[in-house]
Amino acid sequence: MTIINATVPLGLIKNIDDYSRIINEILKHNVSFNILKFSTTPEGINLLLDVPEEKIKTITESLTKNNILVNKKGRVVIDEDICIDCGACISLCPTDALNFKDDLSVNFSEEKCIGCLLCIDSCPRFAIQESR
Amino acid sequence: MAKTYKEINDKIKNGNAVVITAEEMVKYVEENGPKVAAKEIDVVTTGTFGPMCSSGAFLNFGHSDPPIKFEHLWLNDVHAYHGNAAVDCYIGVTRMVDIRPFEYGGGHVIEDLVARKKIRLKGNSYTTDCYPLAEIDTEFTIDDLNQAILCNPRNAYQRYVCAVNSSDRTLYTYMGKLLPNFGNAHFAGAGALSPLSNDPNYETIGIGTRIFLGGGIGYVLGEGTQHNPKGRFGTLFLKGDLKQMTSEYLRGATYPEYGTSMFVGVGVPIPILNEDLALKTAVSNSEILTDIIDYGIPRRNRPNIRQISYEELFSGEIDINGKKVKCSSLSSQYHARKIANELKEWIEKGDFLLNPPAETLPTDSIYKPMRQSLELKFVKDLKRKAVTCYEDCEIKIVAERIINKNTNHIIITTHENKLRGIVTSFDITKAVAQDKHEIKEIITKKVITTTDNEPIDVAARKMKQHEISALPVIDEQNHVVGIITSEELM
Repeated sequence: MTIINATVPLGLIKNIDDYSRIINEILKHNVSFNILKFSTTPEGINLLLDVPEEKIKTITESLTKNNILVNKKGRVVIDEDICIDCGACISLCPTDALNFKDDLSVNFSEEKCIGCLLCIDSCPRFAIQESR
Repeated sequence: MAKTYKEINDKIKNGNAVVITAEEMVKYVEENGPKVAAKEIDVVTTGTFGPMCSSGAFLNFGHSDPPIKFEHLWLNDVHAYHGNAAVDCYIGVTRMVDIRPFEYGGGHVIEDLVARKKIRLKGNSYTTDCYPLAEIDTEFTIDDLNQAILCNPRNAYQRYVCAVNSSDRTLYTYMGKLLPNFGNAHFAGAGALSPLSNDPNYETIGIGTRIFLGGGIGYVLGEGTQHNPKGRFGTLFLKGDLKQMTSEYLRGATYPEYGTSMFVGVGVPIPILNEDLALKTAVSNSEILTDIIDYGIPRRNRPNIRQISYEELFSGEIDINGKKVKCSSLSSQYHARKIANELKEWIEKGDFLLNPPAETLPTDSIYKPMRQSLELKFVKDLKRKAVTCYEDCEIKIVAERIINKNTNHIIITTHENKLRGIVTSFDITKAVAQDKHEIKEIITKKVITTTDNEPIDVAARKMKQHEISALPVIDEQNHVVGIITSEELM
């Protein structure tokens, strides 16, 4: 399974019909997936979905078609001066964007970050912040 | 062939001691055997850098004019402990600021102190004939203090457990953020670099052992609190001059919803006096075992899932009941390694000598749980009979029950007495107002529950956390066996 991060922007859904249209769009691909996280943010509704590898492309397309933002890149920034390389964030990262370098210092691969923000409140140093 | 401390120290002074880190020793002994290692290697250095809550510092400010005898004092708004002479205090790392807790605490004060930042001191006094000053508000840096002594009652755990969470919600613990349903795993400890794991019988570590502490020189004062040698959870009581230390190796930390702590850097040198110690310091991550513990159960004896080696823990992914779970450390292996290397350099340069302990650490002391004089109360002791209705009954029946049984909570069940949901008197009021007639329109299906054997305080915390006033009590098959409400808890 692969994790994707979908943001339903504020104002996209005005009534129940909008919901059913989007859900039917996804359902027609005959795919089951887990919702790992559901949260509301000032920007809209944030969903973390665990989707089978082979369906990623179709799901992403149908979400994007409905103006849902998929895998907004690099939504966190790490302050390396504050980070103490403990690794408390690494087990929380679903895509290995946070990982250890060979010397076991903490590394952030921005291109892998899907902006799920699970790591933010795991840092004992407040070194991880959401980028704006 | 045995070596003495004196022989090793003479080599250190002459600059020809052979020093390697505990990680390097694993490979060395593997390649050359313990006999050659005992002959060739003089000192093995260890290191660890993790959050250590049992840490703090004694400070002495010198006397003010007129003099003050503190009753209470705060350092950057963190309450320090005062129960000693007039201007002594102890600042503990888990004490949080009064105004914005979970952001800054005693550990951060100590980090700022060693970074030579200005610290604000506020204090008050009931005043005496010899100490007439009632209040003080001043600023100081570490250089203004007479003594600043890091004094940590429990550091450098020999090994620690690996924490996971079987419950259905995210837990914020001293083992970090633990995702529900075994979503991740956290462990602590430096494995093969851990000081006490390299001298597991405490042959060279004890009272007076000179060590690396927070970037300066420190000493072992003896066994740490909760020292548990038989369980291989030995600990160290440490002290050192804070003025020599650096903020690179003393870092304030905050675990969200848990509290503050401090990362402490500790490195202990192990003299290779004989072949046996060469073998012990060659311990590898695969040989150091610990347990995976389920923090989803909020009891002292949390369920032990299985044994695991540090090798598996460091691999980044562990197997829990057939599920692959991401695993990472809370302590920094990068800094642990750096500490072992720094201590190695100090010894190689001849700046740091080794000394035999005045007394070694106890190997047979017993670690006991708290004696609680009041009997622990469980849900089964305080629960009462639940007032229930079947899921297919009319709202009117539910309303009658609320009146007849004088209750606010009606548990909705199947005909087999299995929990379906809960309806409160407010839900009934709402149903009347909104002209609803069926239970399924007003039922709350996602119900927070408890069980007979849950301690009362755990049930009370659930109610507080979810801002609710009652919990249905269920058995393992989801049958309703009672209810506990906030009234029973009062």
